Amino acid sequence: MTLTRRLLSIAAVALGAASLVAGSALAQQPPVRIGSTLALTGPLAATALTHKLVGEIYVEQLNARGGLLGRKVEWIVKDDQSKLELARTLYEQLITSDKVDLLMGPYATGAILSAMGVAQRYNKVLIHHTFGIPSLAKYDMQFPAWSLGPDPANTVPNTLFDALAKSAKPPKTIAIVTSKFPSVHFISVGGREVAKKRGLQEVLYLEWDFGNRDFGPIAARVKDAHPDFVWIGDIGLEGNMLLDAMKKIDYTPPIHFHVYPAPGPMTKAADANHALALTIFEEHAPFTNSAVAADFVKTFNERAAKANLPDTHVEVQAAASYTAWQMLEAGVRGAGSFDDKAIAAWLHKNKVNTITGNLRFDGPSNYGDDLMKIKQVQDGRWVVVYPPQFAPLNVKLQVQ
Amino acid sequence: MSWPSLNLLGQAILSGIFIGGLYGLIGLGLGLTWGLLRQINLAHFGFVFLAAYLSYQMATEWGIDPLATLLVLPPLFFLAGAGMQWLLARFEITPFNSLLVTFGITVVIESIIQGIWTADFRRLETHYNDQKFTIGNFYLPVPELLTLLLSVAIAVLIWAAMRYTDLGKALRAMAQDGPIAAAFGINEKGMSLMLAGVCAALAAVAGICLALTFTLAPSQIFAWVGVVFAAVMLGGLGSALGPLVAGVIIGVSEAVTMAVTAPSWAPIVSFSLLIAMLLLRPDKVGR
Amino acid sequence: MNKTVAAILATGALMASVPWLGLPAFYESLLYLGCHWMVLALSWNILSGYSGYFSFGHGAFFGIGMYTSAGLSGNLNWPFLWTLPAAAALAALLGIGLGTVVFRVKSVRGELFALLTLAITFVVGTIVLNTRIDGGPGIYLNAVAVPALGPTAPASLYLMALAAAVLSLLLAYRIQYSKLGIGLFAIHDDEDVAEVMGVPTFAYKLIAFGVSCALAGLAGGIHALFVAYVTAGETFNITVPLTVVLMSVLGGTRHWAGPAVGAVVITGLLYYFTAGNNPVAGRAAVGVILVVVILFMPNGILGYLGKARRKRSAPARPAAVATAAPAPSAPIAQVALRSSEVLLEVRGLSKAFKGVQALDRVNLQVHRGEILGLLGPNGSGKSTFINVVSGHYEASGGQVIFEGHQLTGLAAHRVAHAGIARTYQIPRPFAHLTVRQNVVLAAMFGGARVSQRVAEHEAAQWLEFTGLAGKGDALPDDLNLHQRKFLELARALASRPRLVLLDEVLSGLTPGEINEAIDLIRKIRDRGATIVFVEHVMRAVMALADRVAVLNHGKLIASGPANEVMSNSEVVTAYLGAAHA
Repeated sequence: MTLTRRLLSIAAVALGAASLVAGSALAQQPPVRIGSTLALTGPLAATALTHKLVGEIYVEQLNARGGLLGRKVEWIVKDDQSKLELARTLYEQLITSDKVDLLMGPYATGAILSAMGVAQRYNKVLIHHTFGIPSLAKYDMQFPAWSLGPDPANTVPNTLFDALAKSAKPPKTIAIVTSKFPSVHFISVGGREVAKKRGLQEVLYLEWDFGNRDFGPIAARVKDAHPDFVWIGDIGLEGNMLLDAMKKIDYTPPIHFHVYPAPGPMTKAADANHALALTIFEEHAPFTNSAVAADFVKTFNERAAKANLPDTHVEVQAAASYTAWQMLEAGVRGAGSFDDKAIAAWLHKNKVNTITGNLRFDGPSNYGDDLMKIKQVQDGRWVVVYPPQFAPLNVKLQVQ
Repeated sequence: MSWPSLNLLGQAILSGIFIGGLYGLIGLGLGLTWGLLRQINLAHFGFVFLAAYLSYQMATEWGIDPLATLLVLPPLFFLAGAGMQWLLARFEITPFNSLLVTFGITVVIESIIQGIWTADFRRLETHYNDQKFTIGNFYLPVPELLTLLLSVAIAVLIWAAMRYTDLGKALRAMAQDGPIAAAFGINEKGMSLMLAGVCAALAAVAGICLALTFTLAPSQIFAWVGVVFAAVMLGGLGSALGPLVAGVIIGVSEAVTMAVTAPSWAPIVSFSLLIAMLLLRPDKVGR
Repeated sequence: MNKTVAAILATGALMASVPWLGLPAFYESLLYLGCHWMVLALSWNILSGYSGYFSFGHGAFFGIGMYTSAGLSGNLNWPFLWTLPAAAALAALLGIGLGTVVFRVKSVRGELFALLTLAITFVVGTIVLNTRIDGGPGIYLNAVAVPALGPTAPASLYLMALAAAVLSLLLAYRIQYSKLGIGLFAIHDDEDVAEVMGVPTFAYKLIAFGVSCALAGLAGGIHALFVAYVTAGETFNITVPLTVVLMSVLGGTRHWAGPAVGAVVITGLLYYFTAGNNPVAGRAAVGVILVVVILFMPNGILGYLGKARRKRSAPARPAAVATAAPAPSAPIAQVALRSSEVLLEVRGLSKAFKGVQALDRVNLQVHRGEILGLLGPNGSGKSTFINVVSGHYEASGGQVIFEGHQLTGLAAHRVAHAGIARTYQIPRPFAHLTVRQNVVLAAMFGGARVSQRVAEHEAAQWLEFTGLAGKGDALPDDLNLHQRKFLELARALASRPRLVLLDEVLSGLTPGEINEAIDLIRKIRDRGATIVFVEHVMRAVMALADRVAVLNHGKLIASGPANEVMSNSEVVTAYLGAAHA
């Protein structure tokens, strides 16, 4: 590690010398080093790879545009092996030993909380991509890229039920089946309460242990309850496994919504057609109307294909990741320095235009607007169906 | 706690039997090497998943029917298993050490899988996924049914072989007292290579069934260790039918719990049952 | 103070100065991780490595500790340091509670115990997940103040873990070389024999389990504050149980410091490969390294180093036995040759094994100072008699009275304490202990119950007595059958028993060896022990026995002077069958 750093420093100096000689305006100073960890191995590796790709793309593009405040950007990423204690330790290493200039957040709520604690101790600003429990984000110099809003347990279900109410067949009965995984569970509980307030009749409510393998009985119970609408509080593969199990007993739920499904598998599975989920970005207009977004989508598609990822589309994780980098760049430029306090102050007071929208960070826990939208699998692709101004032309929420 | 319909209960029990069959199939090879060769072979799980991924690869990229892979992969894994056993035998590994060595091998296999197929989820979509039989109101999906049939058939076959053939008796003798068995002309080295090869082939079969019924991810390798170990230990080390029976007990008790009350309580029922069996009727447990 | 203890404390004090050295803070977190795993691995080894009760449930107790601290400090606002003793205590309580139930069931050993402890992990995890202890969202501890033990928060956490690690090292070391440890190692090799030799196996296992769980709970408690976000899914899985086994095996399970070495090596390995480029290759490298290390060091790192050191040092230890005096100084017991005082009385003793009546209302008296031969055809119940009297088996009926005290139904180790010792027909020495250690153990735990130092002295004498003086450092496997039988004798005698039960000690010996044995047995009686011996070698019986008792199908059919009994027609029939001519 030290050797690599030495080599990089030598390279940076050489580059600086060369550009001096060439008279270019680039990098007379050492590069800006941004440090983070990602779960490159372990159970969370699937999604973390997306973040690694996005980060690499962004940093390349950033350096092509001249870097940050005239300095090249170098991204140091370490593997926290999906372990919270390692994430925390590595962030401490990044700050106190590698002495990076700025931080970027890790993947998944748990690791972000670990990193947040460290950032708080050293007064570093922490921008993170996908954090699932806004109420726990208590550090005032942390900034979320994923505009879940400060109260997703309320806002997410309301958005969903608004969308359903405007559909061709608004549901009257609801079955809620959810994982007990922390960032999913509280949203499902919120969904249950909102459903009750909106007059939907709950015909089934059950929770499963994260790590459950056998979804047969749960599928059978859902089928038995005959709901108009199934809310599935899943994360990762669970949704697919449940739909699989339902298909095996000849049951297709009329409308089903998933909280945090693994996006790729959901589009590929035949029984997942018309599944609903949350999103902040999809690969169609109006999101891709911005040149930046369109370019990013194209680059990401290519890179993901080269990295042998089964799903090369840009969706929530990739978009949030890109947004986070945009926020970091905006913060630095806005503050005109790499000082964490200045960056935080600027972010608090200003809005950042990103591919997922115009974001503000002055709400509770630095959350701003709730920008969540509802998407649906139609013909093997995710498309936004609500709010209608974000849906492609002639696309509507389809019910069976 | 709502009282479920008979239909629901029946379907849940079926579901539990199916997954119990898979536990048994995965655990069979593990239990045999543990009981007869005194090795705790964690690499068994690595083999299962490697076979699953290879079957996925062959089916999706090269269009080979997954059932056909049942003819191709087990022989390959037989060689791999015998090879690994040869290596372990050279170094005279004790049971505890075998845990460590095979853990290392599993980590290597996991890394290879992640290197080739990435950490993303892979699901083998075949026409078998849509097929199912119905008996009355109950559904028997083909992949699960196939897994169960294979599991039962192989377990019975091995049980019969161990009981009635000379080879089986030789194996049991070797497990009980190696030096004495050798004195009677039993080729310990050859037998253990063969046994390890067979168990690896069994892992391959289990892997193919896994690919047919579940979504794959490299990190899932260790997710099965807990429940399969439980099935193997409960069913008895070195037993052919034990892991299957134990697996079904675990699967059904969890499934019934999930049908009747909050599914998140399921593990407590199956494992409390296990604990009760261990304490109250330990003679019925194990060999 | 003992040198090793001083070394541990000194190292601990040295390491405690790290926070003030001005190093980057992350070194403290890294050292924290090393200490954290040290505590977990060491604590696992105290039960599982020493006693052989392979626990797969260390995660349950670690998790209880974690949730206790998290709940008390996060939800009930206890000052954090107070939660640590609570964490350790709760974990220990569960462990002891579990052990009290489980350790009584004789057949739950080996993999069944592993299964049981694995199941406990899932049960506890599910309870935590589904009740108000957690219920799902996890417990977030960012509002909990880290006790200011060091200059910074990471430093304080590190110091807590360091203290726990030092404590664990001290406990592991002390236990290994204490009476408890020796007993645990004996349990590891052969629990039933250990119990018969006087080791209170139930109590010892419980203590080891309790200590192990307490330390695991302590580690969990501290860890709750380190990660600051406690969820059921992260805590109650197979990672902790599997990792502690790997670390202990890698370092060496028979050495108190082995797990600590393994913990440091594996933590270092995992950390070394955290660079972001080629993480997958890094992980593969970890696997390869583990494989290679254990293939070449099958006894763990410390086992390998220990063996290397033994090979290098002088091969022959000068005999520690000082004098050439043939007979040990003190007699075994007050000599009262062939008195009529009844030492052992057995009344209506019965033992049934599922339909087989091995002993059927046997009445027998053994007089102090006599040699009683116990004879009978195969399957007549002779060995069962010894097993029941020594406490190895529980009687189905009847009484055993020794020196006026009721021994019926007592645990075997109490029978041993009362002054009874036995040998096994097929020798059952403790395979991993040296010959000397085998005898020392009997002296320490048997009727004499002397201190370790006295026991070493005793052991030397009894090895001399039985002709094994030169083999003190050998392992039982290195002895031939004759020597192993005499080891059985030495072990039986080391506890200075008043009654010695010999089970076919002459079987398998050559005629010359038999003569030696006969002499030895006579000498044993001459020094004050009463002997009951089961034997088929008739000339030995005739030479030694004052009286003889004959069993057939579990019933006593004759007893009295040898000549009389041997001409008893029933006895002849029992041995040779009915006369036809």
